[in-house]
Amino acid sequence: MNKHHFQNINVVTGLFFTALALLLLLVWIPLDSDTGLIEKVRRQVAIGDALAPTVAAVFLLIGGGLLMLLEGKRDTPPAMDAASVKFVVRVFTMLVLGFLVMRYAGPLAVEVMNTIQGSDLEYRLLRDTAPWKWLGYVLGGTLAICGTISLTEGRFSLRALVVALLAIAAMIAIFDLPFDDLLLPPNGDF
Amino acid sequence: MGTLDYIWLGVLAVFQGPELFSILGLPFSITLLMILCGFLLGIVVGATPGLAGPVAMAISLPILISVFGYTPDALLPVMGFLIGIMKGATIGGAVPAILFNTPGTPDAYMTTLDGYPMAQKGHAKKALRVAHFASVSGDTFSDVVLVICAPFLALLVEQYLDLPEKTALLILSLSFIAAAVGGSAAKGLISTGLGLLVAFIGTGADFYPRLSMGTEALSQGIALGPAILGVLIIGAVFHELAGQWRHRDVVSRPVPQIEIGSDRLSFGDVRKLMPYIGRSAIVGTMVGALPGIGSTLAATIGYTMGQRRHEKTAKPDEPAFGEGAMEGIAATEAANSSVSGANLIPVLSLGIPGNTAAVFLILAADSIGGFNPGPSVFKFTTDAVNPELVIAFGLFTAMFVANFLNWTIGGLFMRSMGVMARVPKQLLLPVVLLLTLTAIYVQETRLEVIWFTLAFGLLGYGMRLLAISPLPFVIAFILGGKLEATARQAFDATGSDPFFLLNNPIAAAFMVLSVAIIFLASRKKPDSK
Repeated sequence: MNKHHFQNINVVTGLFFTALALLLLLVWIPLDSDTGLIEKVRRQVAIGDALAPTVAAVFLLIGGGLLMLLEGKRDTPPAMDAASVKFVVRVFTMLVLGFLVMRYAGPLAVEVMNTIQGSDLEYRLLRDTAPWKWLGYVLGGTLAICGTISLTEGRFSLRALVVALLAIAAMIAIFDLPFDDLLLPPNGDF
Repeated sequence: MGTLDYIWLGVLAVFQGPELFSILGLPFSITLLMILCGFLLGIVVGATPGLAGPVAMAISLPILISVFGYTPDALLPVMGFLIGIMKGATIGGAVPAILFNTPGTPDAYMTTLDGYPMAQKGHAKKALRVAHFASVSGDTFSDVVLVICAPFLALLVEQYLDLPEKTALLILSLSFIAAAVGGSAAKGLISTGLGLLVAFIGTGADFYPRLSMGTEALSQGIALGPAILGVLIIGAVFHELAGQWRHRDVVSRPVPQIEIGSDRLSFGDVRKLMPYIGRSAIVGTMVGALPGIGSTLAATIGYTMGQRRHEKTAKPDEPAFGEGAMEGIAATEAANSSVSGANLIPVLSLGIPGNTAAVFLILAADSIGGFNPGPSVFKFTTDAVNPELVIAFGLFTAMFVANFLNWTIGGLFMRSMGVMARVPKQLLLPVVLLLTLTAIYVQETRLEVIWFTLAFGLLGYGMRLLAISPLPFVIAFILGGKLEATARQAFDATGSDPFFLLNNPIAAAFMVLSVAIIFLASRKKPDSK
């Protein structure tokens, strides 16, 4: 990347935060606070709820302005390129997927069990009973760790799967086995 | 109750707190065990490139709170553990720097300059001993300064600063941190503005939770844990992972096996190192006392000062700085280690966190309750015991216990940690990621906080991408509520005077300084590197 590109990044960043500050000052803060900058309570003037966010917006406005005007010419290169951003978005998606599996795997397994056996089990009542309480965490956690390792290495490997399973076992041993009052994800949501 | 009584109560709180077991009738308190465990864990994470003290603190805090509960008795064991991690990670960072030319923590970069050449020449053990001796000396010096300065500073603040001045002091701190962290005042201001904005979402004095857009999720406000851990830890892990991914095809060179050697540190060596350690310790302590300025800058200044002295005083046959001079390691390690104790001066005396370790101490205090770091802690009440002051002296005692461990077993344990540098980052980081998220979940028990944490992780990554330091964000987020509450009280106390920040000479001076700092920092030329 050339120097000109770096300058653009500082200018664009400054512009973005200036626009965000103006949006805050002119739209979000006035529309989403019930009291203004100051308010009158029983004939006494007091600071309103809009003042503090306005101060935050002023920080953003000055920062964005200085970045555009004074530091636009500085060549402070960003640490990563667009491909890295895409990679992080993929990792983020993998983690979200992992936690979604974690959230729904247990209740889904209970439903399947009910269908097969004709039982009337509820995941909510099994959330602190082994092995149900570990099902979502093991599946979702393994997907999150193994998937992230595979994305980082650019390939799937058995090593990644083994590391993920061992790590999940260790985390169950740390958080669940010694404590009766701790709930692994997603069991606190039920 | 006199001052000495409070100090003694603090010491007793550590040594005679909740008992773990007793040997020949002598009780061994749980706090001592926690300091020891934290210290050893700190060395391990410090010696592992890609991990650092904050990661260990983030993961262990919810576990510790689960173990010890939300009672005042939990404060010293939990905070003692965190202090142990802070001190252990400081010396642990030097291990891979010396043995593998890879700094375990960012502030150990300068240690590689002379540490690795010394190791290549077969003096790795001596280099590790020098690093340990310098680090512990600097750290101990810094702690002594902390113990002396923090109470006095707090008393001064309580005696001379009223509400308007305290509001102005908070603004000055935010402005200073924005200007000092990360090398760009503009980006520091943006980071601070974002932190304040997030702090003000869903809060306020009115019945309607402001900036919540009418949503349930935002109307409760943003919890400290998800925002701080997301920006600081998850953002950093995303950033590190992206770095690993970019270099996935680079075949790593096998790290040469370094002969540790058996050199001892002689009395003559110590005498030679002391001027370097002394100067660096003073510089590091001064830098550390200012909120927001990290140990990396202290290490750079300490090293440069040491280099100048060495050029004037070294004998012709001694290696120069950068070629394996033990004075170079000493100058760096004494400087970066002496930052840690002094860094707690602003948090304990003013309630203003200056670094990530202080942020986690505040998180612990906030989660457990019963201790609010700030000037009110140091009220030497004579008629009744001030429990917060006892905790403060207990924390000081915990720091000296950690120093004692550092002097006695720290060196030995540190020298056995070379293996940690060989742990592959691409395997370690995803595990750390899930471990942190699980730790957050077990405390909050709602998947909603995971989504918040991941979102703040993306924000933290984005900030790093744009070279915006996340530390001002975190500090502003923590101080936001306090700033607003103090400003409201000051406004009321001055009879709704809109110029309450300018009518008082001290407050006005703080405000002028706030603007001047930003103005001067934004005119500063960027670092040549």
